[in-house]
Amino acid sequence: MLTIGDKGKKLLADAATDFANKALLPDREENDKFPFGPFFDQALETALELGFLHLALPESMEGMGPGITDLCVVCDRLCQVDASMAGILFTNSFAQRLLLAAGEAKTLEEAAGQDSARKVLLAAPVFNNPGEIRHLARAEKDNKNRWRLTGGVPYVVLGGVAARAVLPAAVEGSKGFGWYVVNANSPQIVKSATVFSLGLHACPAVDMTIDGTPATPLAGPEDGADLFRQVADAMQLVAGAMAVGLMKGSFREALDYSKKRRQGGKRIVEWSELTRILAEMSIHARMAEAALDRACQAADHGEHSWEHLAAAVSLTACSLACEATTDGIQVLGGVGYMKEYGQEKRFRDAKQIQALLGLAPMRRIKYLRRMLR
Amino acid sequence: MRPPPFEDMLVSLDASARIPAGMVSETREVMALGRRFAREVVRPRALELDARLHEDPDHLDWEFVKTANEWGLYSMWLPKFFGGGGYNFMSMAPFIEEVSSQCLAMANLIGVHYLGVGTLSASWNAQIMRRVFSEVAQGEKTGEPCLISLAITEPSAGTDAEEVDLMDRGEMSCRITRCDGGYKVNGTKIFISNGHLSTWHMTMGFEDLSRPSETAIMLAVKTGTPGFSFGRIERKMGQKACPASVLVFDDCFVPDELVALDHRQFSGLSRSHRQTTMQVIDYVVSTSRAGVGAFGAGAARGAYEEALAFASETEVDGTLLVNHEWAQCLLAEMYKNVSLARLTYMETNYANALYGFFRLMGSAPFFYSMKYAPRPLLDRLSGLFGSGWATRMFRQTHLENQLESEAHRTSGWASLCKFTATDLAVKNGHLALELMGQAGLRHDRRVEKHLRDAKLLQIYEGTNQLNRLNLFKCMAGADCGQAEPFCDCPAA
Ligand SMILES: Cc1cc2nc3c(=O)[nH]c(=O)nc-3n(C[C@H](O)[C@H](O)[C@H](O)COP(=O)(O)OP(=O)(O)OC[C@H]3O[C@@H](n4cnc5c(N)ncnc54)[C@H](O)[C@@H]3O)c2cc1C
Repeated sequence: MLTIGDKGKKLLADAATDFANKALLPDREENDKFPFGPFFDQALETALELGFLHLALPESMEGMGPGITDLCVVCDRLCQVDASMAGILFTNSFAQRLLLAAGEAKTLEEAAGQDSARKVLLAAPVFNNPGEIRHLARAEKDNKNRWRLTGGVPYVVLGGVAARAVLPAAVEGSKGFGWYVVNANSPQIVKSATVFSLGLHACPAVDMTIDGTPATPLAGPEDGADLFRQVADAMQLVAGAMAVGLMKGSFREALDYSKKRRQGGKRIVEWSELTRILAEMSIHARMAEAALDRACQAADHGEHSWEHLAAAVSLTACSLACEATTDGIQVLGGVGYMKEYGQEKRFRDAKQIQALLGLAPMRRIKYLRRMLR
Repeated sequence: MRPPPFEDMLVSLDASARIPAGMVSETREVMALGRRFAREVVRPRALELDARLHEDPDHLDWEFVKTANEWGLYSMWLPKFFGGGGYNFMSMAPFIEEVSSQCLAMANLIGVHYLGVGTLSASWNAQIMRRVFSEVAQGEKTGEPCLISLAITEPSAGTDAEEVDLMDRGEMSCRITRCDGGYKVNGTKIFISNGHLSTWHMTMGFEDLSRPSETAIMLAVKTGTPGFSFGRIERKMGQKACPASVLVFDDCFVPDELVALDHRQFSGLSRSHRQTTMQVIDYVVSTSRAGVGAFGAGAARGAYEEALAFASETEVDGTLLVNHEWAQCLLAEMYKNVSLARLTYMETNYANALYGFFRLMGSAPFFYSMKYAPRPLLDRLSGLFGSGWATRMFRQTHLENQLESEAHRTSGWASLCKFTATDLAVKNGHLALELMGQAGLRHDRRVEKHLRDAKLLQIYEGTNQLNRLNLFKCMAGADCGQAEPFCDCPAA
């Protein structure tokens, strides 16, 4: 993300880079082994201390206010090194924004005021659009008029780590879906083992099987889809920023390697086909970054139809990141495919990030349908 | 510019009249076997094995190798007169596609062995072929698998090891020194697929490191030979069950009878040592790259089949995904990718049948006499086919009689196949994940594994960049007098 001329953002960006290099980079390969290795709690605590888990909150809750750019700046910088932590920030911010948009300040304040990262964090199923799927969980009132959730919610990101989860559920007799906050450690919730996933291993998810756990409603079935759309419109920019970060990280590692590796009697960067591939990677990263910057400005200023621009930029950045990280491995040849380098992880993470907020082809179709409305 | 020759353009049409009809029914039989093996052995274990290797990357899955050995898969495509099953080599690609559609790593545990077989065969050294292949066949009887690996890549030479022009400008480091009764090998080979699981390692080294293409030597090195040892196993993103090994040679003595090809053997040939090195490399890659194409077709198909199954059972916006028009078009695109990948490996195989590796074994008289000759007679012929006479006959047929244009046609098609099919495999992995969204990210839905596994296909057997350059050299730019492959203009 471009931070030129904005001291505050520059400071934030530098803090994120510093954190990524010191707290994430040294153990990147180790952290990526989760769940077959330990979870990076220490790094998460540092992220909390640095205020990264509060970025999406209002200033009154020690956050950065309603804008999306700050969160994008941090996620871009983190993803250049290791995208899993950015995945955590994404999920937590997505859930925080749902609570904010629904006016549920009490739960939000309670969570934000906790002193350890696991207690602050909110879980949510961020890899789909709940308006598209068939819901397996339903919300209903018990005989004391309290809401309870029952059924299954797959792929709840941070579900095994966070204290609270924000979940969508169908409601008997209505077509839509509502949003509910539950205690993620409730005895009425059975969690699967960590879902073994393509990427973002240190941003883990679980499947939840729920049997009548108490739930605080955020939105009923008439408003659930609108609430999602409102939050997803801004959060898709964060997905775009993550993609941009991955592209930049992948390019940098590819360029560094190609300046050192020799084949055919010269540094491989000098073979013009490889130069072309590197150029393509750089051009796409720069273009996505500039477009993202513009889209964030538009979002923060509430410009007319900013959400269309946000969708266009996010979708493009995510698919360019998939291409760039594929090439990012290729430039390194065999070693690019190995765990010792960051490239194979970036490739997996980019593909995982493309799945945020729903099926990418459906997001494209909806982009146009919304414009036609 | 002259139009492309008929022989380059329509290889399959040319081949259809010449290929023995018996090969078709045999290939049908082999494909059915591949399907059964994939269904009964591969699919049930693919996920569990991948997860296990994620946890323990040093695990060597002897269980699978032994099962494949019991099914006869390591000798199935070896000539009958060396104790093998005698199936035509062309039928291996559809078999590989079937297995790859369920798990590329397991397909490699079988297919890479034939990369070793192909390399030894490309030396056309009948004595060593007889010795090594008989051990493979024997290993199936005793239940002790005997696999062959290929060791070319070195820490400082990956792309360079695939092409003589590059090799000579690069930094080859595996040194072979003449000594009494054989050679001594010193150096390290890296990324050797199936290394730790193999008994024999077809190893390429050089007598003079400043002139590698003119001093290349191919040796058969057996596990357990003093001075030979295994180094680490790489931590890979995918194809985890197929180990990529480091092989270390430290004054490793290889006797003359295990020298598959060196300058003394080259001396009877009319091509120079350098030209023959390239011809042998072309022989190896013309079949192995078709094999990688079959891996690609399989991976593309696996991703397609999982995506189709998902779309048939999942509702999006209240309608089954498979009934969204865009999803139908996307699935059709994926189906096309599988079919195209398959067409390229078949076309390459036809080129190999007419102009390359299979020209003798795939000819009707040879094919039928081998197919129907009684086993005891073939056993008796083993001595003849494993003799110096056979080496001369094979080399006359395959090395001497092969025209430059024929070597280019097979190598060119193999490169075209390799980068096309593998790019399509990666493409289908991407498309499947896009279609499946959240579900596709899960290991238990299989497509994420297909994508991780497929990415390797763009790298080994020459990166897809090297293969584009080779296609240019062999076919696309072959008529362009001004073109100089592998030179490139210096950066301004
Ligand atoms: C898992 C795995 C299994 C393998 N199995 C085997 C095996 O069984 N036996 C074996 O011998 N080898 C094996 N290999 C090695 C494989 O063939 C090499 O990795 C491959 O040839 C690329 O070499 P490299 O990795 O050294 O990349 P490099 O050659 O260093 O290439 C790095 C990048 O530079 C590009 N490049 C290099 N030279 C040029 C040029 N002249 N023009 C344009 N671009 C160029 C490449 O395309 C690539 O993008 C395996 C590799 C892997 C990763």
